[in-house]
Amino acid sequence: MALALHGLVKRFDTTLAVSGVDLNVPVGSFFGLLGPNGAGKTTTLSMAVGLLRPDAGQAQVLGHDVWADPVEAKRLLGVLPDGVRLFDRLTGAELLAYHGLLRGMEPGVVDQRATELLDVLALGADNRTLVVDYSAGMKKKIGLACALLHGPRVLVLDEPFEAVDPVSAALIRDILQRYVSGGGTVVFSSHVMEVVERLCDHVAILAAGTIKRVGTIDEVRGARSLEDVFVEVVGGRTSTGSELAWL
Amino acid sequence: MAVTALPVAATRPVSTGHFVRLKLRVTANGLRGATWKIILFVLGVFYALLFAAGGFVLFMLPGALDSVRGYGIAAALGGALLVLGWLLLPLVFFGVDESLDPARFALLPLPRRTLVKGLFAAALTGIPAVATLIATGGLVLGAILLDGVAAGLAAFVGVVSGLLLCVALSRAVTSAFASALRSRRSRDLAAVLLAVLATLIAPLQLVVMNGAAATDWARFAGAVTVVGWTPLGAPYTLGADVAEGRWWAVPLKLVIVGVTIAGLLAWWSRSLESAMIGTAAGGGPAAVGRRGRALTPTQRLLAGGLPRNRFGALVGREVRYWWREARRRAGVITFAVVGIVLPISISMSNDDAGLTAASISMIFVGALAAVNLANQFGYEGTAYAANVVAAVPGRAELHSRVLGLTVYVAPIMGVVAVVISSLAGRPEWIPALAGILLAAYGTGLAAVLPVSILGAYAMPDTSNPFAISSGGGMAKSLYSFAAMLVAAVLCAPYVIAGLLLGDAWLWAALPVGLVYGGAFYALGAHLSGKLLDRRMPELLQAVNPRH
Repeated sequence: MALALHGLVKRFDTTLAVSGVDLNVPVGSFFGLLGPNGAGKTTTLSMAVGLLRPDAGQAQVLGHDVWADPVEAKRLLGVLPDGVRLFDRLTGAELLAYHGLLRGMEPGVVDQRATELLDVLALGADNRTLVVDYSAGMKKKIGLACALLHGPRVLVLDEPFEAVDPVSAALIRDILQRYVSGGGTVVFSSHVMEVVERLCDHVAILAAGTIKRVGTIDEVRGARSLEDVFVEVVGGRTSTGSELAWL
Repeated sequence: MAVTALPVAATRPVSTGHFVRLKLRVTANGLRGATWKIILFVLGVFYALLFAAGGFVLFMLPGALDSVRGYGIAAALGGALLVLGWLLLPLVFFGVDESLDPARFALLPLPRRTLVKGLFAAALTGIPAVATLIATGGLVLGAILLDGVAAGLAAFVGVVSGLLLCVALSRAVTSAFASALRSRRSRDLAAVLLAVLATLIAPLQLVVMNGAAATDWARFAGAVTVVGWTPLGAPYTLGADVAEGRWWAVPLKLVIVGVTIAGLLAWWSRSLESAMIGTAAGGGPAAVGRRGRALTPTQRLLAGGLPRNRFGALVGREVRYWWREARRRAGVITFAVVGIVLPISISMSNDDAGLTAASISMIFVGALAAVNLANQFGYEGTAYAANVVAAVPGRAELHSRVLGLTVYVAPIMGVVAVVISSLAGRPEWIPALAGILLAAYGTGLAAVLPVSILGAYAMPDTSNPFAISSGGGMAKSLYSFAAMLVAAVLCAPYVIAGLLLGDAWLWAALPVGLVYGGAFYALGAHLSGKLLDRRMPELLQAVNPRH
């Protein structure tokens, strides 16, 4: 398993944000974690990558426990957290160099990969704008570049497509698909069905802090559309036609 | 937005009175229903009247005492101070009077001339303007007492034109700043400037007090004459000119004031356009590289021969952050000012203070340098997640952060040692003072590093260097005071032993201080590093402003 979560629990004050999540992400899969706002997606992924200490449960990356053997587990991980700032008083190039050297990479390799990433993501290798002055979409892209730079075996991305324009989103999709076809594993969270349906071979639906459905995309959606399954699982209501008749 | 020409007969022209009435109505409505607002308003009026009465007396007094020279000094310097106040106060308390926001008029078909005249008149109908008029009224009475009604009349014309100048100046400058401050870069800069201004208040007081005690007033005469001919002092010195028999100066100075007001109003009218549209022309991202095209990413991060590895990267980022992040930069600048001013004021306040007093102030300065790190993780907030994800060892993290700060504070501490020794006339103190600074810096770091991990608190995402979060941030900043106290206690044995040692101390202090401070720092960093290794996720939670 690329990523294995067992019984993860997290409580904030009085609310139980995540109540026992079990999840197995096979190596080489493109895994979508679906859930409505407030379902516990960010909390789950934070615990999976070592940013948030769980109250109970384990998280393993390719067999290395994130909390018992953090150095080895984190070496294999690339992470794009959501709602987390970057070291945004650096320029894009400086930020990538920082991440590369932080990961113990060779300076020459850092330079070559950083320049290439800046180029491909259209961030400009010579751009001296500080990341704090980037647009939201550019920030996502530089964050993704930081996560990819050291060639991780597992990528964990929290809402990678939020605030990204369609052109950049297509570019990010291409990069991620190439990454998976090269043997990498991607886990990403989203609440946009369309993106998940288009990209993922595996999905899990998270609601109210527990996994409601999990499996390959065909297993989960069956004969219906993913959106129908999602709305049913999450417990949303569908319009019957009798209410709001004045519409 | 272009203002289209309207058929003149179809609409009644908008008079200046509309704006004045609107301003009064907005002010009155703003008070409705909220008791605390009314209390604040009454307090404001009270303070304004207090200020006005005080100013009136100060401006009138030289005239009442029949001192022509005193009157001239009060008029020129007091008037200039008043104009500067009108310039600076709205910038410090930015947006203090936006009851008639120009942006609200953007959709109305008003000619710019009418708008400027109206907003100007509205700005004149406010408490500050009335208070200023009352205060400077003292000049009119003073001139009458000195030289009769003719001088009083000249002073009256001057005082009214001075008020127009003050209001025009403050409106023009705030409007120009409003568009300039829309970019993050200039906001950062303004925040730092304010921090510097705030820390400069103490030393300025010192300089003025000493200056006032030492100088004889005759030396001021030249300065007074010069200021009287600048737009700052020109309107207020008309009465003095008449009293001293320089009738010819009155029309000349009126021309100076008039031209200045016209220029300011023209400037205001220009910047009003961008304030109305709401987006500044020059606010977008700029600074796309000129220099550094040949530099690779790692070379850009690692300036100044840093090792090309993880530690070098950590230090390189820290060095940049101490300069590029407004709060940190304000901290360093404040330290530089306080670090130099405080020992000076201590040694100036008691005459034969000697080495003991200097040593004690050095302990304070050294510990103060370390306190910059008291909430080091709070500065960058959740960005610290990158280091957590990369599993940076605690000790490397702390050493790199200390080194990044030291790059800035070590030269400042060197300057402090040299300046204090030189002012005392004892250059042989330099190594001793430097030694104490290093020892106190070391013990200060030992005390501050655990505090920065256990007592970290989230700071709001703003560029205001004075902003701290409401929830417990204030109480937690007490930790840094505690850390300073601990640092002083840890450092005390070294200083006491040294002072008992006598003259040998003067050369032994530096190496011993280096070792003493270094040992405490090494111990503190070792223990704190282990602590950090265990608490990285908890620390990340603590500095997250959203929790």
